Formats: sequence, C-alpha cells, structure tokens
Amino acid sequence: MKKTAGIIAFALVAAVIAFFAFTGQEKETTFTAMDTVVTLKLRGIGAGKQLDEIKAFVSDYSDNVISRHSSSSRISSVNSKDSGRLDDDLSADFDLLYSVYRDSGGAFDFTLGALSDLWGIGTPRAAVPSAEDIQQVLSRCGAGKTDYKNGEIKLPEGAVLDLGAAGKGMALDKISGLLSENRIINRGVISLGGSILLYGKKGETFTIGIQDPAKKNNYAVVLELGPCFVSTSGSYERYFEKDGKRYHHIFDPATGYPAESGLLSVTVVSQDSGLLSDALSTACFVLGSEKGMELARKYNCEALFIDENGNITVSDNLREKIEIVDPAFTLR
Amino acid sequence: MKLFGKTDFIIIALVLAAAGLFFVLNGSDDKALTADIIVDGEIIESVNLDEITDKTEFRPETAPRVVISAENGEIFFEEAECKDKICVHTGKLSRKGDTAVCLPAKTVVSIRGSSVDAVTY
Repeated sequence: MKKTAGIIAFALVAAVIAFFAFTGQEKETTFTAMDTVVTLKLRGIGAGKQLDEIKAFVSDYSDNVISRHSSSSRISSVNSKDSGRLDDDLSADFDLLYSVYRDSGGAFDFTLGALSDLWGIGTPRAAVPSAEDIQQVLSRCGAGKTDYKNGEIKLPEGAVLDLGAAGKGMALDKISGLLSENRIINRGVISLGGSILLYGKKGETFTIGIQDPAKKNNYAVVLELGPCFVSTSGSYERYFEKDGKRYHHIFDPATGYPAESGLLSVTVVSQDSGLLSDALSTACFVLGSEKGMELARKYNCEALFIDENGNITVSDNLREKIEIVDPAFTLR
Repeated sequence: MKLFGKTDFIIIALVLAAAGLFFVLNGSDDKALTADIIVDGEIIESVNLDEITDKTEFRPETAPRVVISAENGEIFFEEAECKDKICVHTGKLSRKGDTAVCLPAKTVVSIRGSSVDAVTY
C-alpha cells in the first residue's frame, strides 16, 4: 500500500513537472519576410511545431496572396489584368478595406501602388517627382475609381493595388485564427515588422514599446496591454532627404505628397482586427490627431499620436496604460 | 494505515528538488549580454559581449556581404554591401533588446532579453 502511494505520488509530481516544463517553455524565432523582420514568441505545448507552421504561413501568404511584388500572388494577378475575382477570405478583407477608405474620406487608399513606385521611397532611386507626374498618377489611382462588387474587382487602367498599409495586419488576423483553432499556445507575441498580435487568454498582459521617432532602439512610450492587435505608422521608418527636407513613405492620397499632418507616429490598438489596427494607423497619420481620433473611435479602436512638438495625445482607455519613457515627450 | 511513509516524503522531496534545479538551470541568465546573429532565420552565432575583449569580426555567408563587429560590450554592422546601409546607420548595439537589421542580406543582430514583449514601429 505504502509502496503504491509512493509510486502514485512520484508519478503525480513528475506529471506536474512535465506539464509545467512543457507549457512554460517559450519558443522564439526571428527571420525576414514581407520585406521586414518577423519575430515569433510562443508559449505552450508544441510551440516549436506551431512556430514552423506560422513561419511557413507568413511566406506563403505574402508570396501567394498579398504581395504585389510576387508574380504568383492574387494581388499581382488582379494588377496585371486590371480585374479579378477575390476568394471569400480576401473579399471579406476588401469589404473592410473599402469601409476604412470611405470612412477616412480617402485618407487610407490601397490603390496607390503607382504613386509609391513613382516616388521610390525605400529604394536607391528615391527622388521627388515632378508635380505633373504626381497629378498624372493620381488622376488614374484611387479606390473610388475602382469597381468592386461581390468579390469582383475592376481597376481603372494604371491603378495598382498595394496592401503595404494593411497586409501585415491581414496576415496577423489569419495567424490569430490559426492559433485559436489549434489551441496549443497559451501566450504568443507575433511581430510582423512592428505590427503586432498579442495572443493569450483574457487577463494575460503584455508590455509593448512604441519606437521613439528620433532615436533608434529606444522607446518613447511603454504600453501595458491585454490580448489585442497593435500597429504603428511613423514618418521615421522609410524616408529620404533632399535639400534638407525629409520625404517619408506615408502619402496623402489627396496631394500625392508625403502626409504633413504634424505627426511623427500613430499607434492604433484594436481588440479584434489586425487589418483595422494596421489600416487605421495609416489613415490616422494622414488625417492628423483630431480627425484620426474620431475615426479610431468609430471602429472601437484606441489610438496614440506623437506629434512633431513632442506632444502625445491618447484615447481615454489608453491613458491608464501608458508610461512615457523618454522625457522629451509630454502627455496632453 | 498512513498513506505516505517517510520514504515517500524523501522521494517527493528529491523530485521537487530536481524540478527546482531544472527550472534554475533552464532560466535565462539575467546578467549576461548575449547577441544573436541571425541569417535567414537561423542563429549562426551567439556572442557573449561581456567576454569579448579584442575586436572580433563575423562574416556570415550572405549576399550582399556584411561584416559584423563586436568590441567593448558592443556589436554592430561595420560594413554592408547593400545599397541603403540602414544596418550600418543603426549604430552600435549595447543594451538588451537592441536590434539592427539588414533586410537585403536577411541578417538580424539582436541582443537577448528585451524589457518589453515587442516593439511597435
């Protein structure tokens, strides 16, 4: 009897240890994909296998669905034919992209690939185009000029779909779905070039640094958040300088020039959509803090704006969750 | 009859002690400053920056070519044949969580142990 109890006790303790050893184990990987750095941190039984699955998914989704630079992607196919049918998944995302386009008054526009190509920001041939060239490109671009119904899309000649401002968020939505379906991860942090999925049960908390716009490898603000999606658009990420003026990569679709809204960065937090946090951060950057805040509110998202004078404006629900790390910034 | 005897308690205590040791050994060393050089998703070198006294160069097999140097507790992209040189301009990394990236060479240098779970930018 005593012997049996001993064996049972031993087995129980061993099982508990094994359980904690495996579930508590965090697996991490860093690689480059989608023209950016991807970092995955997962905790749970089978985290290693899940890591490999997500890694494969990111490359596949980029190459075969959203990248306009991959000839095998769905988006490239539409661009090359100026028309096409989107599958159910993609068309659900496009419904939301059109919705953000309309609600932002066109500040978020996913059909400006030709404008990005004209400027070439982030490439060695980046240059300020002539005003005529910009006008010419704008005259044929714009989501308002496309025809979209029931997953069928038609582009005016010369318009180019570009999901650069929403694609990472779209990928995070799919990864979130994957993790929920497999249910083997307790806690996960997925960062696709600064667009982040914080995955976990309700009550799980995460700390997120918001890049200091002026200093690399420094945070302006640290946020404490529960499971959600976070995305930031900043003028400091991709830019070039000409005659002392900085030209960044977030264009104002109304002018065809880099947006001048007095902001350095906008961070948007969404409880349930990576696409929204990604697309809205761009829209809010173009719109400026006042109109941007209204737009974020409309979609039940939280937003944090850092302006050129070092002022930080936040939506009410974020106020309690932020810590300003760099004294150069002041909370308004 | 007692369910647990003296021997059982000793066994349980031993197992718990082993578990404690397991967690201690598996826990991360908070003090060491370790930089990972990651090429195409694989850690090709882990550099203990505290132990490097003389300047040490790392030349991973990448295209475009990059040279990563470590000295005085710092690590950095010293040279890169890529066009934008963003990695070189990132400067020297010396604190936990510091990261520099050369996208064309698919190379990331990152010091382990960031104070935050992730950075949004």
